[in-house]
Amino acid sequence: MVNYIWDNLFLEKNENRSLRESLKKNILFQDLQFQELKLVRNIVNVRHYRPGENIFKQGEVGVGMYIILSGVVNIYIEEMQAQTSSPVTSLVTQLKTADFFGELALVENEGRRSASASAHEETVLIGFYKPDLIEILDRSPSAGVKILMRLGEVLGARLRQTTARITELKKDHKKP
Amino acid sequence: MTISLKAIERERKLKLFFFLGAQLCLFLAITQIKNVLVSFLLAFVIYYMLAPAVDFLERRGLSRVWATTLPFLILTLMMTVVIRIFFPVLGDQIESLKVNFPKYLESTTTFLNSMESRASHFISEIYPYDLKGTMGPQAMEMAQAALKNLPNYLSQSLAISLLSPFLAFFMLLDGRDFVRKIMSLVPNHFFELVLNLNWQINRQLGGFIRARLIQSLLVGFTIWIGLLILDFPYSLFLAIFAGILNVIPYLGPFIGIVPALIISFSNGGSGDGNFIWLLLIYSSAQILDIVLITPFIVAKIVDLHPVTVVIVIIAGAQMMGILGMIISIPLFCTLKVSTQSIYKHLTDFRA
Repeated sequence: MVNYIWDNLFLEKNENRSLRESLKKNILFQDLQFQELKLVRNIVNVRHYRPGENIFKQGEVGVGMYIILSGVVNIYIEEMQAQTSSPVTSLVTQLKTADFFGELALVENEGRRSASASAHEETVLIGFYKPDLIEILDRSPSAGVKILMRLGEVLGARLRQTTARITELKKDHKKP
Repeated sequence: MTISLKAIERERKLKLFFFLGAQLCLFLAITQIKNVLVSFLLAFVIYYMLAPAVDFLERRGLSRVWATTLPFLILTLMMTVVIRIFFPVLGDQIESLKVNFPKYLESTTTFLNSMESRASHFISEIYPYDLKGTMGPQAMEMAQAALKNLPNYLSQSLAISLLSPFLAFFMLLDGRDFVRKIMSLVPNHFFELVLNLNWQINRQLGGFIRARLIQSLLVGFTIWIGLLILDFPYSLFLAIFAGILNVIPYLGPFIGIVPALIISFSNGGSGDGNFIWLLLIYSSAQILDIVLITPFIVAKIVDLHPVTVVIVIIAGAQMMGILGMIISIPLFCTLKVSTQSIYKHLTDFRA
């Protein structure tokens, strides 16, 4: 009995610590100090997904981003085939622990998801949504600014990657 | 390993059942236990009033506990001063009004009767209504019942005034954790929608309540100063009454002026010029409200059509009396935002 109480007493503390450490490893939160991380930890939402369960679908309005605590997430797009007019699903990428996705929804106003995401196996995600970001900005503007700076950096890097990819595609297209 | 879609669906339904069950239990507890509904509503008002101050103090580096405790200490101190200064005056005014009100009402009825006989002299053919026979006894009955029940209201108010700050304190301190725990019961499928909905309602309702509170304070204060200058009796009581009723859009200001008009009629009506001054004071309070506060109301939630407002208020009054009139608009606004967001989700949010 004493062991049970003892274990449970520290279980949550361990969970909190592991959550805080996972957040610290993420680029968005890596500049935050201990107290700021504690605030973020208390604000974010931990969500559990079953294998095959949808996280969000392409075309839905996005509210926030997800960080993978454990498990694997499939990112895929659905496209209509011109000939058969039936949707074809193609896997874009597979994300694993510590990866994150959907961050554009934090800054967009009712922007739509450009791809779908589903859990490949038992997956635990940290959901970080726009209302959470606004709450952080309200309660600790310095932490909010640090997150936003890093978010800008991530989005800038993604934009650069996309531009480079488009340039490559254009070059390929021009080649005879 | 892939779990069948049926199992995921079953789990989702179970989660949804517990989430809705928790909501229902909370709703029943709030509505069925005596004094809890009003205490909760008042606690929400205090919560929305103090939330920006608590967030500000937290931003200045105070812990959440201290950031919550400090505004409550200041509020208690302010309330103590207000109670010590104003309550004896207010008590005397209510006591005196309790004694004099039947007299005021009688003089008002007499005044209205004389107006009626003058009017019927001109339009007797098209105006066969017996004002004296119908309005007089009804108004007397209502006023006497209200004043007779005043001790009951006051004892209930005491319970509410102790319970609501207590609830508001813990709403500010732990409310977010509580909401997060309830939110953890929401199935993944609806999570983003419910989170977004909760945020939108909270933001709009907060803006609405804060704006209404500031409006009421401004209107009440202006009327109090005006009545003091006019040396009108029961100024404090009348100002508080008008301030509280100002919460009701469109109709509130009209109902708020009624007691002052009754007293004015009983003192000789329009003859002594008080009537015009009263109208001026009450209208200037409303003009100040429209010029100073209304342009800065961020919450567009107030954008309800006047006809909708009147219907909602009548429905509220029929269900819960004066309290229903006051809370019907915020409740309707909550319903409006929820319905709009759910509809948007069904038609737009999902691909």
